[in-house]
Amino acid sequence: MFAYHLRLALKSLRRTPVVAALMIGAIALGVGVCITTLTVYRLMSGNPIEHRNDVLYTVTLDSWDPAQPWDDRQPELPPYELTYTDAKALLESNIPARQVVMRKAAVVVEGDPAAHVKPLLAEARTTTKDFFAMFDVPFRYGSGWDRAADDGAQHVVVLSDETNEKIFGGEDSVGRTVRLNDGEYKVVGVLKKWEPTPKVYDLNNGAFNAIEDIFIPFSIGIAEQLPLAGNSNCWGNEVTNSFEDFLNSNCVWLQYWVELADRGQVEAYQSFIDNYVREQKQLGRFQRPLNNHLRHPDEWLKINRVVANDNRVLVGLSFMFLAVCLLNMIGLLLAKFLGAAPLVGLRRALGATRGIIFRQHLVEVGVIGVGGGLLGIGLAALGLLGVRSLYENYDQLTRIDLTMGLIALAIAIASGVLAGLYPTWRVCRVQPAASLKTQ
Amino acid sequence: MEFRPILSAMLRNKTGVFLVGLQIALTLAVVANAVFIIMQRVEKIDRPPGIDSDNLIFVQSYGFGPGYDHRATVREDLELLRAMPGVVAATSINALPMSGGGRQSNYGVVPDPDKAQTVVNTYDVDEAGAAALGVKLAAGRAFTQQEVQYNPEPNNSDFVPSVIMTRDVARDLFGDEPALGKTIYDGLGQSAVVVGVIENMLGAWVSFDKPSHVMLLPRVANGPTVRYAVRTEPGRRDALISEIEKKLSESNLHRAITWVRPHTYYVQRSYRADSRMVAFLGVIVALMVSVTALGIVGLASFHVNVRTKQIGTRRAVGARKIDIIRYFMIENWLLTTAGVAAGSVLAFAFGFWLSAEYSLPRLQPVYVVAGVVALWILGQLAVFVPARRAAAIPPATATRTV
Repeated sequence: MFAYHLRLALKSLRRTPVVAALMIGAIALGVGVCITTLTVYRLMSGNPIEHRNDVLYTVTLDSWDPAQPWDDRQPELPPYELTYTDAKALLESNIPARQVVMRKAAVVVEGDPAAHVKPLLAEARTTTKDFFAMFDVPFRYGSGWDRAADDGAQHVVVLSDETNEKIFGGEDSVGRTVRLNDGEYKVVGVLKKWEPTPKVYDLNNGAFNAIEDIFIPFSIGIAEQLPLAGNSNCWGNEVTNSFEDFLNSNCVWLQYWVELADRGQVEAYQSFIDNYVREQKQLGRFQRPLNNHLRHPDEWLKINRVVANDNRVLVGLSFMFLAVCLLNMIGLLLAKFLGAAPLVGLRRALGATRGIIFRQHLVEVGVIGVGGGLLGIGLAALGLLGVRSLYENYDQLTRIDLTMGLIALAIAIASGVLAGLYPTWRVCRVQPAASLKTQ
Repeated sequence: MEFRPILSAMLRNKTGVFLVGLQIALTLAVVANAVFIIMQRVEKIDRPPGIDSDNLIFVQSYGFGPGYDHRATVREDLELLRAMPGVVAATSINALPMSGGGRQSNYGVVPDPDKAQTVVNTYDVDEAGAAALGVKLAAGRAFTQQEVQYNPEPNNSDFVPSVIMTRDVARDLFGDEPALGKTIYDGLGQSAVVVGVIENMLGAWVSFDKPSHVMLLPRVANGPTVRYAVRTEPGRRDALISEIEKKLSESNLHRAITWVRPHTYYVQRSYRADSRMVAFLGVIVALMVSVTALGIVGLASFHVNVRTKQIGTRRAVGARKIDIIRYFMIENWLLTTAGVAAGSVLAFAFGFWLSAEYSLPRLQPVYVVAGVVALWILGQLAVFVPARRAAAIPPATATRTV
């Protein structure tokens, strides 16, 4: 019976090719626009560390200016980064199973003058060793470094996939050396291609940028006074001319994450940081009310408003556009179905039940929905090509994956059927006698 | 022309009329708000930068190793740059205007940091700073070589003797009084004299609420990073970019030239989110208007088809072609008017919600009015084709199908 309905549906659509094309086109346009904006929105609002969301926490302490909050628009928030003094103190705790303090730095990877290879300025993440395990960083060769490397500021380096490709042509470079800022560094690991989107571990230095080129121990960055490549925010009026001044200042510039296994650890750690801040208050620092937070990655993404308001507005407008497309389609369907009412009257007179007529027309709108959906996915792919030219470093934002394709099809069929219900219902109420009479 | 018969004829196809009316209403709500947002973004992107953006090149050099001498490098680089044919002026600078990265501090007119201060985005430049950026001096003069401070020297670390500020900063600090010759103080109580006032200059953050709060300081920041602003003669910029990269890279092996880029690169990058929004919204508006126009054409065509006989009858009893066309035009005008009436309410409601939810400015009524007029015209244009087809129906049709 379905095959029969389908055959009739196709026949009916072929009878009015312009109207059929207009209807399929309307759904396709509506779906295409919605899927384009939804894809961007969904990837922007993703959490790349979802599977570890329950155990990871970023640490924020309110060390800011007593005279004014960190963020005027959200006065309840402490600064999103820590001072060096505080980060160093927190590192002393052994409550967290793992913890990491880190920042971005700029490092020159020296070239080879003999081979006319120019030096290049690389983005480095200086971090303690737990970074790799905490954020589930995938390695192609080797691994991260150990505690001794952190403690002794040993010259070890982990290269990103891309950097290893640039310097060593992609081969296993573990054990070889690179010259960074005039020093010899031993390669201990090479990453696989890794594109956390957004870059949840550091949302305030380009949430959609690529990962850093190289990773070196945090202690090296301090010992060699590597210049900061990320944000730093200061308050009060301190003279910060030397690196030493900067380390001892009130400036916040360090990202801090801990891994806590269960409720008990979370409570213990929260009271540890609260006690630390209370002690510091005695020393005259932390003059704002106690406001220390441990936040899961998903909460952190929301607070940092990674999804720009623009994107939400666009998704809303796209769905309003889809609504207009559907209204258009309902109008066309109504005209088409009622135009063929005499035919329906004839079928009814010959014994077709209302149910059969109903299913017949529903199959027809289903066909329009599927056709519109498939075309819509095609249009969305085109739309995303256009979007890619509007974004920079956002390649991963503009792919339609299987889920998105299925969502597109579901939206198309659901909206097709929804739009088809009323015209179908109307045509089912056709009185056989009335429409036959006019023949 | 009688409205009543037109209305009652429309009401025979309530659903179809209602659907298209709703389409028109939704279209007005979306288009008015979208165009309002587009205009705001376009205005923002078109603000004058105050500097000679089109002829500016920025360069970054990063020194490393024990052989690197920051001060000598800066001096030699600037000599080399200034000697290149096609270069108008060059200065060292700590950050790039309109790039999204920069430094801001508070300044006041008394040495007390607790008194009212204003936040200013500051740039360290040398004596050629004003000429190299291409800012217009409204009063006063550029820096002199003697004023330029070199940071690592112990006694004058953060101090500068003089500043050049934009009109907007001057107005904020001194009101209507001339700023020239007055003294300002930083948070540490160090003073500096205003030696120049510039017309305008946009600072580091294009979305900042005080984008033109900018001040130039006579200073060379310490290393190992140094940036240069190089202003070229018109038309020479692109050729000079590669030449500068080559010459500077070869001149000193203790540093890396990390990039040499036109200023427009940073301008485009900073406005990317805005131009993206303009593009997205533009596409949605265009599609929405076309789909609605098609809907109007579809409804009118349907009406022409079901009314063939009546039209034939009217023509047979003496209606002219123009009467038939006018009939459809008036019908469409009534429909559009009902649609835009509902749409205006929707547009303001939607605009109100947008401004409350996303702290955007409130929708200005002129956009709704413009939208109403545009939809009236669009409706009349869209209905004209089917209306002309209706007018072409011969009177004989009336008798033939009875």
